[in-house]
Amino acid sequence: MNSFQRIKSFAAGIFYLLVALALAVVPHGSLDYIYWIISFMMLIYGTRLLWYYFSMARHMVGGKIVLYQAIIVLDVALFTMTIATMEDYIVLIYLLSIYAFSGAIDILRAFEAKKNDSPVWKKKIIIGFIKIGFAILMVVLAIIFRNTDILVYGFAVSLASTAVLKIYDALRETAIVYIQ
Amino acid sequence: MNSDFHYYATYCAAILAGYSHGEAQDIAYSDQLVDFCTRTLLIKLKAPSSAATTQLQLELMDARTDRIGLQDITRIWSSFHFLPGDLQATPPKRCSKRYKWKYRLICKPNGELLEPTVNLAKDKSLQAVGLAMHVLADTWAHQNFAGTPSLVINNTNQYFFELFEDGDGYREKKISFRHSVSAPDDLENSIYTNSLYTNSEKSIMNLGHGRAGHLPDFSFIRYKYLPAWGNYEEIIKDNPSDYWHAFTQMVYAMKYLRGGIESFETDRYDTEAVEPYREKIEGIIKKRQPDAADDWKALGKELSGSEPEPFDIERYQDEYTNAAENEKDGTFIGRFILAALAQKSMVTNRIYRSGSKLAGYSIDYQTKGFRGLEDFRRLIQNNGGGKQS
Repeated sequence: MNSFQRIKSFAAGIFYLLVALALAVVPHGSLDYIYWIISFMMLIYGTRLLWYYFSMARHMVGGKIVLYQAIIVLDVALFTMTIATMEDYIVLIYLLSIYAFSGAIDILRAFEAKKNDSPVWKKKIIIGFIKIGFAILMVVLAIIFRNTDILVYGFAVSLASTAVLKIYDALRETAIVYIQ
Repeated sequence: MNSDFHYYATYCAAILAGYSHGEAQDIAYSDQLVDFCTRTLLIKLKAPSSAATTQLQLELMDARTDRIGLQDITRIWSSFHFLPGDLQATPPKRCSKRYKWKYRLICKPNGELLEPTVNLAKDKSLQAVGLAMHVLADTWAHQNFAGTPSLVINNTNQYFFELFEDGDGYREKKISFRHSVSAPDDLENSIYTNSLYTNSEKSIMNLGHGRAGHLPDFSFIRYKYLPAWGNYEEIIKDNPSDYWHAFTQMVYAMKYLRGGIESFETDRYDTEAVEPYREKIEGIIKKRQPDAADDWKALGKELSGSEPEPFDIERYQDEYTNAAENEKDGTFIGRFILAALAQKSMVTNRIYRSGSKLAGYSIDYQTKGFRGLEDFRRLIQNNGGGKQS
């Protein structure tokens, strides 16, 4: 990770922490802004991927994967925008689903890391299962107690944990494999 | 290529080209120094940092990947390790300029920049000869990869097979890659270390042959794979053949640089001088081992009657740091720095003239005067004017 990436990671961590704090203090008022920010960020990312595909990656062996990524990200971005008008609890379940999905990705990456004899696979698989378990737990608790605030607080906690990881990544020493 | 080839094999080639033991050792040292002359080292020696010929992992980790940072990386890696093969090359399909500029940086042997690279060392120091030999040899080992971070050019996928001689043909064995920093390559089971896949076009993980691991650096290996730019056509990389060509071309090039041949032409090899040692050299090249230094060293001793000294990075550092400011260019490291600046300037100039700014800007000193990186002023002072980058 170079200096710029560290600064980016640190800034993102602080931003996530602030959003988590805002959610915890004003559970319902902050929600509207969150999915707009998320969908807007995904829209920009998806568009950038699409541009990269058409200008560069379409010539690359296996480059279609970039196109698929772009389509999926754009699709999710647009879908996130459409749920803005729905009930808060649907929005929260959706956001927690995205969180659980990122956990599933962590597990898939853990398997890939294991295949490559990388020692980080255990950490990745634990994080993946914690994310999925946490998202399910929040939904179950909200159903049992019939209280959507639990979902808001759950989402705030998930954001805070992501923020801590990003700040940790920005500050820790990193080892890379580079072939000279 | 590793130090076994850049140091000891170059020593052998220099002896076969007619250089004395001492001269061959200086050439081999300079060849190997290309893989050690980092900005960190140059700053320590209070030498011009623009003469860096390589980058440490640490430097790469901290390298900026904005336009300026990428130009710096490209100048270093394209000039010394991945000499572009054809700066006018046209990709097979219609593409954007961004793609085309990167495609044109793909390294190939006997490319258009080889002759100017060798000629830069003509009537120059032994350090310039060694540096040119490093660049020449790497065009064989590093071909099909580019000296700039690029996913669309340098990426590889899981389609990687090692080829073992089996009767008249070859037996295939799937190659596995891992990203463990500490684990050595497992030659027995064909498990090698490579850089991580990242989908970022400009990630340093996608610089050069990182995604193919050390495979291009092993002289014994044959393998096939799909280069990212190759439109799904597999490439069979025959390192024993490539390393043989690199060796015989070095002998030919150094004979030219010594004055034994009138002009340097690409795609010519001195197999005649090497013929008496062909079996031995092929034996070393094909021997399945991660480091062939001892074998090349023994051959060197046989050829010259003297044992080449091991490479010691500190050998000439005191000479440079203790020299007066106006005498530094005459020291071993000073002469190497001048050769490095000349090579970097030439390659940057050629890339710039091809219309690409991936390696930065280059202007003609004689028409525009001195501009740009101050370090290059000493090159102009030594050459009495010319190009700068």
